[in-house]
Amino acid sequence: MTDLPTELSDIVGARHVLQRATELLVYENDALPGYHKRPRLAVFPGTRDEVIAVVRALHRARVAFVPRGAGTGLSGGALADDVVLIGLQRMRRIISVDPAGRSAVVEPGVVNSSLTKAATPFGLHYAPDPSSQSACTIGGNVAENAGGPHCLKYGVTLNHVLAASVVLPGGDVVRLERPGENDTGYDLLGAYVGSEGCFGVTLDVTVRLTPNPEGIRTMLADFTSVDDAARAASAIVAAGILPAALELMDHGTIEAVESSIYAAGYPRDAAAVLLIEVDGALAGLDDDVSAVQRICRECGAREIRTASDAGERARLWQGRKKAFGAMGRVAPHLAVQDAVVPRTKLAPILARIAEIGARQRIHVCNVFHAGDGNLHPNVPYNGDDPDEAARVHAAMREIMELCIAEGGTITGEHGVGLDKIGYMERLFPGESLDAMCRLRDAFDPERRANPGKVVPSHRCREWLAAPGAHT
Amino acid sequence: MTSRPATAAELAGMIRDAHDRRTRLRVIARGTWQGCTAAVAPDAAVLDVSGLSGIIEYVPGDLTLTARAGTTVAEVDAATSAHGQWCPLLPWGGDEGTLGATFATATHGPCSVSLGAPRDLAIGMEFVDGTGALIRAGGRVVKNVAGFDLTRLLVGSWGTLGVITELSVRLRARPAVDETWSVAIEAGGGARARLEEFRRGPLAPLAMMEFEGRTLVRLGGNAAFVAASREIVKTLGAADPCDTRIWMRLRQRDPKPRGPLASSALGDPLSTRVKKQFDPRHILNPGIMGEAYA
Repeated sequence: MTDLPTELSDIVGARHVLQRATELLVYENDALPGYHKRPRLAVFPGTRDEVIAVVRALHRARVAFVPRGAGTGLSGGALADDVVLIGLQRMRRIISVDPAGRSAVVEPGVVNSSLTKAATPFGLHYAPDPSSQSACTIGGNVAENAGGPHCLKYGVTLNHVLAASVVLPGGDVVRLERPGENDTGYDLLGAYVGSEGCFGVTLDVTVRLTPNPEGIRTMLADFTSVDDAARAASAIVAAGILPAALELMDHGTIEAVESSIYAAGYPRDAAAVLLIEVDGALAGLDDDVSAVQRICRECGAREIRTASDAGERARLWQGRKKAFGAMGRVAPHLAVQDAVVPRTKLAPILARIAEIGARQRIHVCNVFHAGDGNLHPNVPYNGDDPDEAARVHAAMREIMELCIAEGGTITGEHGVGLDKIGYMERLFPGESLDAMCRLRDAFDPERRANPGKVVPSHRCREWLAAPGAHT
Repeated sequence: MTSRPATAAELAGMIRDAHDRRTRLRVIARGTWQGCTAAVAPDAAVLDVSGLSGIIEYVPGDLTLTARAGTTVAEVDAATSAHGQWCPLLPWGGDEGTLGATFATATHGPCSVSLGAPRDLAIGMEFVDGTGALIRAGGRVVKNVAGFDLTRLLVGSWGTLGVITELSVRLRARPAVDETWSVAIEAGGGARARLEEFRRGPLAPLAMMEFEGRTLVRLGGNAAFVAASREIVKTLGAADPCDTRIWMRLRQRDPKPRGPLASSALGDPLSTRVKKQFDPRHILNPGIMGEAYA
């Protein structure tokens, strides 16, 4: 019997199989600092047939694997702990773009922003826009049900995926489609999107393309208290306005951004800013702008700037989208959270987070999707200082407990992965976790796809009885 | 035999019991889907969910609502209207059916194209699977990727994977202006092409439907938006203003097929495995998806 590396090399070519520790080094991390896991080996199929052949070979060998896109995830979800890593970045063909049908078919390794670039000549774009969009892949977006600032109005990845072909861990290829109006059948596509690589490997994705808005107005409202900014964000949504994006950045984030190469001209003396974008038909757009400005002023905004051209708009957005990167200047490590809370509780919860931060003597930088209530309290810190690291982790736990207690959830767009798996039992009763395991078992009865992620394995009934559970 | 539980825990006990005894169940509430439940095994005992009723939580500022599955669409509409909001499903069949049935059947409506289908509006639920396990999925916030998505799985599963006991949905603000026009689209002069352009363009309507030889167009948005849309509508042919309540008449007429479902949706191996995980003894609505039952 041939050994696995040889078999995989026969499928994809020897230079697309990595085994040496030095070569595997870059695959020990994703974008979330603090976790390192070394894959047993990494294999990089270049075609659909190669992906299928690789998965079937792993099935025959009863070996577990982790699919990986660009490694930009923020939950440790793409780490392979002594199992095989299937890298999909060579699968980067845009198979077709259908301007009339407003859709495109792409391979999983296509970069999010490349898809929008391909759609641009037709006046279309791919709406979900995670901040990592210049690097992250559509396959990874599907796995995480990725969001982004513009998901407030346009919806998350789930709402933009029309179909996917998937090779199940057992080697079967299935076609999953968004149910239509008169279809009957289970929404297995809905179950697959956001399954974090635990249900199979995506071979191709059919996505919806969205017409570019006729008009875009981007505003930066500047506040002297975080509380005022949070109240303004809640009030805008409560007033029935649906901005394309509604983002909050606090003083710590503004400082980090303005001190970096991504400086966007944010007011450094502000306690918080709201980055607000409204878009759509030109007719009625300026009425929405006026309403947003009025609400911001009523909530105490000091100044509201409106981007006058595309260049200024891009600059305002750059600061937001590169905020995580800018925090790299502040300290070598970064703790990232992704909790979602009810919008009306934003202001009191942010006040509590500030209290926790002060008590634990850590530096919390808030930069988040205020319109969705999707918080990202980020903490730059020095992980080599055990005392500081312990305080950061204690604060992170407190913040998470707070968000759960206030009726929120532990992740809005980053996924559970490894990083948040410890909170799943706080959020869901045992029977719910067991039901999630059962759904996974329908796709992957041997539990070989992305083992050890999302749901704590001891929560699955009959875990020990499953063949291959520990390979 | 009919059981009508008053709580989710009671319902879970009944299903657990049915699972143990291999008793088949026909899940009903307001009886608005009788055409479909006719396909269910005739010997099935009736499980009536309509007793699980009432809104549990509604915070208008959050634009979310949680209600028991037996709450009618009309009750949700009345509560949210008071705050200028709606759950924009406007399902075919009218508002007399329950929230649970609407999501279990993934019933669309004329505004689904613009305002979202059931799978887009459900943010969480509680359900009891075919073994009697009471399961929470999703949550009450608008964005949530914690764990595998059981909510999407249950929406449109016709009660064959579990019986929904509680639902959380996202709401929207009602448009400031909501008006309907009845248009006699001109035969020539490129009116059809302009109509298509309108439907796909930035001033697109909330809904558009053929009705008694005319085209009903529902416009929604702020005043300036609707004024601009209205100008386009008037270029399509003779346009008369129309009472918005006409949509209710249209929905109640229900042009969509609701007979017993024709083809098997459980034929593929993956769906069969999902079914086995959640209803191993095939007791929930057996036959409703056209599948064979022994």
